[in-house]
Order: sequence, then C-alpha cells, then structure tokens
Amino acid sequence: MERDTLVSFEGVVKRFGNFTAVQRMDFEIKKGEFLAIMGSSGCGKTTTLRMLAGLEAPTEGTIRLSGKPINHLPTWQRDTPMVWQSLALFPFLNVRENVEFALKMRGVGKAERRRRAEQWLDRMQISEFAERNIAQLSGGQRQRVALARSLVVEPEILLLDEPLSALDAALKVRMQAVLKTLQRETGITFVYVTHSQSEAFSMADRVVIMSRGVIEQIGTPQEIYRTPRTKFVADFLGSSNIFSGKVASVSEGAMEIDAPSGRMRLALPDTARRSRPVPGSTATVTVLDTRMGLSVARPADAVNVVPAKVIGEEFVGATATLYLETDHGQEIRVQMGHEALENLPVGIGQRLYAHWSPADGHLVAEV
Amino acid sequence: MRSRLSLYGLTFSLPLLVWQLLFFVFPLVFLVALSFWTVKNFTMTPDFDTVNWVTMFSRGVFWQAYGTTFALATVAAALTSALAFPCAYAIAFKLSDTARRWAVFLMVIPFFTSYLVRVYSWQIFLSDAGIVNVMLGYVGLGPYGMLNTKGATLVGYLTLAFPLVVLLQLFSLAFIDRNLIEAAHNMRCGRMRTVFEVVIPSARVGLVIAALFAFILSFGDFVSPIYLGGGDPTTLSILITDTTKSGQQWPRAAVIALTMIATLLVVAFVAVRFAYAGRASKEVGK
Repeated sequence: MERDTLVSFEGVVKRFGNFTAVQRMDFEIKKGEFLAIMGSSGCGKTTTLRMLAGLEAPTEGTIRLSGKPINHLPTWQRDTPMVWQSLALFPFLNVRENVEFALKMRGVGKAERRRRAEQWLDRMQISEFAERNIAQLSGGQRQRVALARSLVVEPEILLLDEPLSALDAALKVRMQAVLKTLQRETGITFVYVTHSQSEAFSMADRVVIMSRGVIEQIGTPQEIYRTPRTKFVADFLGSSNIFSGKVASVSEGAMEIDAPSGRMRLALPDTARRSRPVPGSTATVTVLDTRMGLSVARPADAVNVVPAKVIGEEFVGATATLYLETDHGQEIRVQMGHEALENLPVGIGQRLYAHWSPADGHLVAEV
Repeated sequence: MRSRLSLYGLTFSLPLLVWQLLFFVFPLVFLVALSFWTVKNFTMTPDFDTVNWVTMFSRGVFWQAYGTTFALATVAAALTSALAFPCAYAIAFKLSDTARRWAVFLMVIPFFTSYLVRVYSWQIFLSDAGIVNVMLGYVGLGPYGMLNTKGATLVGYLTLAFPLVVLLQLFSLAFIDRNLIEAAHNMRCGRMRTVFEVVIPSARVGLVIAALFAFILSFGDFVSPIYLGGGDPTTLSILITDTTKSGQQWPRAAVIALTMIATLLVVAFVAVRFAYAGRASKEVGK
C-alpha cells in the first residue's frame, strides 16, 4: 500500500441474496483526490459508496481506512460523512440546526457548535437562511446546506451520492464549480458517485468506471477518454468509433486488422508489447470522433479509409457531429469545427471518405 | 368545466353532508337548546334559563368528576402512546413486508369483538378470585384488589385505544424517509438516540394525532370506568347517566355533554397546533 492511500478496497464482494452487486473490487483512493465512480444504474457504484460509509457490510473482502480495516465498524463509528441523492436534510430542523447536528452528536458545546456552524454557513453563502426551514429553500440552497452539514465536522473524506441529479442544467454546472473549488481548498478526499460523464470528467482527478459490479477502468479523465481500456468503456463514453475485426499481421510497432469495412492499420505503442495480439485473434480498435477526417475524394496518402454516407448531423455550440454509415452498416461519428465543415457537402445521403492516421487508432483489451 | 367538476364532486359528498347535518349538527343545536330548558315536577319545559349551567358549574362533584376524567384520559393517552410506540416501531422497521402485513391484521382483529365483551373478559382476569389473583396465589402472592380501581379503568382505556394508536403510529412511522435515519447514523447518531432525534420528530404529527385519539376515546368512555373502575371515582360519562336518571335532569346532562364537547374541541385544537408547530406553512418549489 502506498503512503498516500486513504482508502483501499481489497477483494470486496457484495451480494444481496442471489444478486451480486459488486464482484471482487480492488482499488485505492488517494489522500486528497477527487475520485468519481461512474456507471449506469445498477452497476454497483452506490453500493460501493454505501459500503465505504458503513451503510452496507461487504460480503467478502476488506475495506481499509487509513490502513485500518473498517468492515466491522457501524456507520456511526466511522468518519465517513455522506451527501445523499435526496440530500436527506432533516425537515423538522432549521438550516442552522441541520448544520449543527453532527457536532451535537459529537458532544461539541453549544457555543462552539454555533461558531463552527456559522463558519460553514458563511462559507457556503447560506448565512441569511440560517433560521429558515428546509422546505423554504430552493434546490441550490438545499445543496449547500447538505454540504455544510457534512463538512462541518471537517472530515478526511466526503462521500457524495449523485447529489446534483435533482438540479437543472445551469445550476448543476454552477454547483460543479462550487464542489471542485471546495475540494481543492479543503484538501478533503471526495468520492463522488454519478452516472453523468460530464460531472465526473469535469470535476474528478481520477474516474472509476463500473459495469455490472466490475471496475472496467480507473484513470484520469484524459486517459479514459483517449485510451479506453475496454470496448465497454469506449461504448459507454460514446465519443469513439469502434471497429472490430481479425488480426491480420503484427510487426514491430504496428499491426493490421481485417474489419468488415476494410483493412486498417494502427501503431502499437511500446506499452502494448506485453499484451501483443496474435494474428487470427479478434481485436477491437477505437478512434476518437475528433480524430476522424472526412473528404469528398478518396485521399491518396491516407492509410485507413472507409467510404460512408451521411445519415445525420448535430450542432452543439462551435462543433458539429456528423453521423455516417458504411456499406456494412457500421456507424461512424466525426466531430469537427464549423470552418472544416464549410468545405464539405454534408447533405443526407452524400458519400464521403472517413480516414484516420494509424497513430490515432487505439487497441482495447479483449475481455 | 369548473362548475361541472364541482357539481360532480358534490354528487358524492352531498349524501354525507345531509347525513351530518341531520344527525350531528341538528342534535348538537338541540343539545344546546336543551341545556337552557327547565325541569319542574319531573317534566321538562322549553325555556331559556341559565339555571342548569349555574347549578352544574357551582357543584363540587361536577368539577371533581371533570378533573378525574381529564386526568385519567391524559394518563391513558400518555400510557397508550408510550406502550404503543415500541410496538409500532418494531412493526415499521424490524419486520419483513409479509410479517408487517400480518402484524397489521392482528392489530385489526380486536375490533372484530365488541369493546363491552373485551371489558367483561378483563373482569374475569382482574376480579378478587380472578385469573390473575389465582396465578399470583400459586407463587404465594396476593390476592390483590385490582377490580374497581383507577388502574383497572386504565386497563380498559388501553384495551379501547391501544390497537388504534399502534395503527396510527405505524402509518406515520412507515412514511419516514429511511435516508433520514441513515443520515443520522452517518453523523454519529446511535440507534437509540436516532429514535429521539429523528424518528419521533419526523413522525410527530402522527404520534400527536394518535395520542389525541386515545384521549378522545378515553375521555368519553363509559364502559371502562363503570365495569372495571366500579363507578368510583365518578367520571363525566357516569355523571351524565346519573343525572338523567335522577329526576329527569336531561338539561343538566346536556350541560355536562356540552362541556365535554367544548373540552375535546380545545384539546384537539391545542394538539393539532402542537403537532404542526414549527412547520413551514408555505413551501417553495423543490
């Protein structure tokens, strides 16, 4: 275990009856990092968080906090405050009493309690609502109360279970900035569960991607975006084109694959040497939609070229996404700026050539 | 469209409104009128005389009965609530869904038999040579005089109110957001403390209403104080029957009945105010 590890999951399994929510989980959370656990509903991300909070007991394995096993500790003996998706603010207490609650439970004196609550009310800019009832607050204000209530004890770690899901889009973005700033300023380790890629990628230092109780990939948002480890991750993020085929040849630094759309070549980085595929086996390659080029005529110098016809387009801000389909029914996404688009005829049904450099192809692990 | 809708609603509520008007409001008005009638030579005559109010309110026995009844009903409400809460709590939080359904069913069963029958069976348990004393005799204790005491009256009140109070408490506990309980645990609030810090405040309205029902049922009950309490000390319900039997004093009985109604109205009002105290009256969106 590394010195800066705060939490470690060692072979953690969680079963509910016959259903396995989490299967053999091994990963570490570093001190002071913002870690997002991401996946679609039912992937085990919330169960993972609840096990860390002590609200569920692992069926197998060990969870350590600062090196000490905490499996047997009930939630009220851990310092793992959590922010609920529903926020779980106490409706029978006013804002100040909500924020003071955890301090009261720790036996902090009245004056000290008030002083520390005041600090956090101030910091979260909700001092003026201190005497209000929870029912009288807006969604964003409630969010701030929930954060103040959890952070008032100045914990080492804060667990957040999709806390922004009830907010509208604009407020969500604002709260993301608040959360990120808060995490950076306090240095508290944040573990943030979400199904939203934009939330995870915009705030987290590292992202854990889960599917069906298994960790698919752990890495920085950059790493995951550029080099998805598995086909699932590439699919889940939805920003890569995925080609599958049979390995035709493998040479020093490069390989060739026979896909239904034609033969494609990609560069093999040194890191892939150990798990180098053998000819004849199945391989899957991803190419980011921003790395795809389009042209009217077949480019003479390009190595990987696939003819396809336009089936749709989408504009978001300054970028456009074109959807094309190859003769074999494979969908291809290409993202480009408006200037690049101006020189292209992109009417529905228009035939174009999609092409990419061998260096932009990325080989994913076969599982 | 709007008026058609309200007409539609009225069609269903009208029979009940008429029923309430005929059999509740009208008799109540009559009861008020009756309390001002006079009785001469065992005959009632319509009148407008405050003599019944003055007579009753200046009698020590009336105020004694009032105090006894109020105190007994208060103790019954508190005792029933305190005994029912662990039961309702266990049903709401500790039982599986199937077991919970069975428990609710078992709570409803007492309503199948008449309250009078249940009180009579308590006599068999509590009398001097009753089951309880015989059992105690086997271990060399007693006999204790249990029947015809305030304690026995309270046992009767419990019999009357307990199942209803458990059900009312249960429904308010069942609607508590479980996340609130987990959140309290998560903030170092232990199991027992969470009951007082979170569960009871969350279920406050339901718990107060349940206690109010226990109070109302006990306050007006005639069966327990007469068959288990032996009519001594006198409660207001016993006083009413005594008054009607002694010299056709229906107007004076009306005074007692109206005082009881007024008391219950005040108690109910205070209880509801207390139940909702500190709650925001208006909610701002989510």
